[in-house]
Amino acid sequence: MAVSLRSWVANEGGKHLVLMLWLGANTWMFLNTFLLYSTGQQYHYLYKMLGVGLCISRASASVLNLNCSLVLLPMCRSLLTFIRGTRAVSSRKTRRLLDKYKTFHVACGVAVCLFSVVHVSAHMVNLVNFSVSYSDDFPALNLARYRGEDPKRIILTTIPGVTGVLLVLILLLMFISSSHCVRVSNYEIFWYTHNLFIVFYIILMVHMVGGALKYQTNVEAHPPGCLKPNQSSTEQRVEDLDRLEDEDVGRCREDARFEPHWPQTWLWVSGPLCLYCVERLYRYIRSSAPVTIVTVVKHPCNVIELRMLKKNFKARPGQYIVLNCPSVSSFENHPFTLTKCPTVNRETFGIHLRVVGDWTERFTQLLLPQPRMDVEILPMVQQRTYPKLYIDGPFGGPSEEVFNYDVSLCVAGGIGVTPFACVLQALLDGWRGFRLQRLYFVWVCRELQSFYWFAELLCALHQKLWQENRPDYFNLKLYVSQAGDLQSMSEERFRPLASRLLVGRPRWKLLLDEIGRSNKQKRVGVFCCGPKGISRTLHKLCNSARSCGTTFEFNKESFS
Amino acid sequence: MGKIEWAMWANEQALASGLILLTGGIVGVAGQFRGWEFAAYAVAAGVFVCLLEYPRSKRAKGTSVERTGQYCFTVCVKAFGPLTRNYYVRAFLHAAICVPGGFMLATVLGCVCLGIASLIYLAAAIRGEHWEPILPRKDVRKPVAESIKNPPQNPPPRPPPEMRRKPAKELESSAYDNPIAVTDE
Repeated sequence: MAVSLRSWVANEGGKHLVLMLWLGANTWMFLNTFLLYSTGQQYHYLYKMLGVGLCISRASASVLNLNCSLVLLPMCRSLLTFIRGTRAVSSRKTRRLLDKYKTFHVACGVAVCLFSVVHVSAHMVNLVNFSVSYSDDFPALNLARYRGEDPKRIILTTIPGVTGVLLVLILLLMFISSSHCVRVSNYEIFWYTHNLFIVFYIILMVHMVGGALKYQTNVEAHPPGCLKPNQSSTEQRVEDLDRLEDEDVGRCREDARFEPHWPQTWLWVSGPLCLYCVERLYRYIRSSAPVTIVTVVKHPCNVIELRMLKKNFKARPGQYIVLNCPSVSSFENHPFTLTKCPTVNRETFGIHLRVVGDWTERFTQLLLPQPRMDVEILPMVQQRTYPKLYIDGPFGGPSEEVFNYDVSLCVAGGIGVTPFACVLQALLDGWRGFRLQRLYFVWVCRELQSFYWFAELLCALHQKLWQENRPDYFNLKLYVSQAGDLQSMSEERFRPLASRLLVGRPRWKLLLDEIGRSNKQKRVGVFCCGPKGISRTLHKLCNSARSCGTTFEFNKESFS
Repeated sequence: MGKIEWAMWANEQALASGLILLTGGIVGVAGQFRGWEFAAYAVAAGVFVCLLEYPRSKRAKGTSVERTGQYCFTVCVKAFGPLTRNYYVRAFLHAAICVPGGFMLATVLGCVCLGIASLIYLAAAIRGEHWEPILPRKDVRKPVAESIKNPPQNPPPRPPPEMRRKPAKELESSAYDNPIAVTDE
């Protein structure tokens, strides 16, 4: 599959443009600060004492400032959801870029770690130089108390040193526990250590207090390298003499005066930090009202449907919510995609959750009545007491864009059908108001029983569209990947599904070719929510050449 | 809620500390700073810790993902038996290794990180976890079922030949008469 330029630009162009801009901003900051410290007049004496280590450490510090402020912005999820929702502000391309917020956060985080290493190494060299090249001419410039002071003592007795050590430790803890295997095996460890970021930022803002590096304030009155009033030229070193002859600097009018820098980090960091704190507060307040659980339905293949009610809850198809059940675990929050959004007529909203893992198991036990062997024959009216449930959200996802393409292809694997179920529900309520003209829906499951989760919804939509004379609007293909016995849905009302059921894995290239031929010269939105194998194959296919002139734009909804 | 496997986090932390200790040691030796003997020690200690921590343990619940090429390390580490299986031993070993690193500036960071890893290993050991090697699963051939050895003695149920051969005048009916009625469902 050859990568075609047009398809690649359509799919990957935006992301790479943002990456280039970000790299460019970092490079510019680094070079700018480096040149400032190496050629600036006010840093001349400091540069002579410390050498290139000064420039590298300050340049990496400015890059760190930039990245520490940028790293918080992608994590303001409510803000991102709001930006996604405002049609007037952003175009489809910008909204597509918002899907990659986690990648951007990781990129900024990795940059923080990398440049911290550079910064720490350069400062170690600076410390040695502070101690070795203790300046007797300008005592105010020194950080060490005497020549040859042990650099370890300098670290432990100055504020920048102590805070620097703490910052590095916290950063290391956060970085190591956010590796992929720790996140997959124990999400709580990752979450709790990552929340140390608030300590990190507070310490970061006081890191520069104490003024280790000073700049010269009276450059006009005392040009760097000028001769002292009672000094003769023979006492100057050779290079100074050459420079003096070139620049004709002359005598100093007064002694050099030095002042420490005021801490600049808070300028960079306080904005995003306040924004993030406001966002967390808003989310906390919004989720403080418990929801009422209306119905609990048990579906085959270990899936539970939960219908809930909450005042002033508005959501769009494709969004997800985060559930917190204190009776199961006070601190765990789990995201679930909405399968039914509240509408004007019906205010309940629902999720489908698959029972996998201990939180969902315990949660299901609390929701469903336990089968008891000694149940009485007479039906008793039991007061079902459901556990208290809090939801946070809704947050936006890539599947919100299904309605904004002329033609969309939705590929779902197993329980990954949940975002699309909401889309189909919205189409059932009214399909005429959207830009979408044709929807291809491919659902791959391991077992036949899984299709019963949404069999009624699919049949209802199919029926409605046929009756309203738009049979080509909804094209359904169901695949059962594991061939077992008895592979057919025998109910009469599910006939449309049974006739569209195929056994075996779908052949994606042929599928995309077929869609391309029927929709020439169009932009097809491909939405994938399923296992990595499917999404990788589809992504590669979307980037490769198409003979019919159709562009496929790939959007992925990720599970974790 | 739920059992957290501390050992997985401790393993990542210890591997990273080993690398940091190694880097710090190399810098210390290369620059010939004061106390470079500690840096030389840190190089050796870093290599040792990396080799010990490279093979991941098998998870108690869930899928274990190996690190690339860890099989040979697994075999070496497994050979030490209870010394490497027990996390108490690892916790105290890391605590002991990290102490000399604290005497030199370049290796102090590795020392602190290894100390943190040793604490997490202690927590894992208190929770009763231990190191399990991830070995390639030998496909156990299913024992040959009894019925294979004894092929069926009788042919599938159909009537004996004399009943099968119909008289000539009844040729329009089926070739043979099924004793069991066969219906189309």
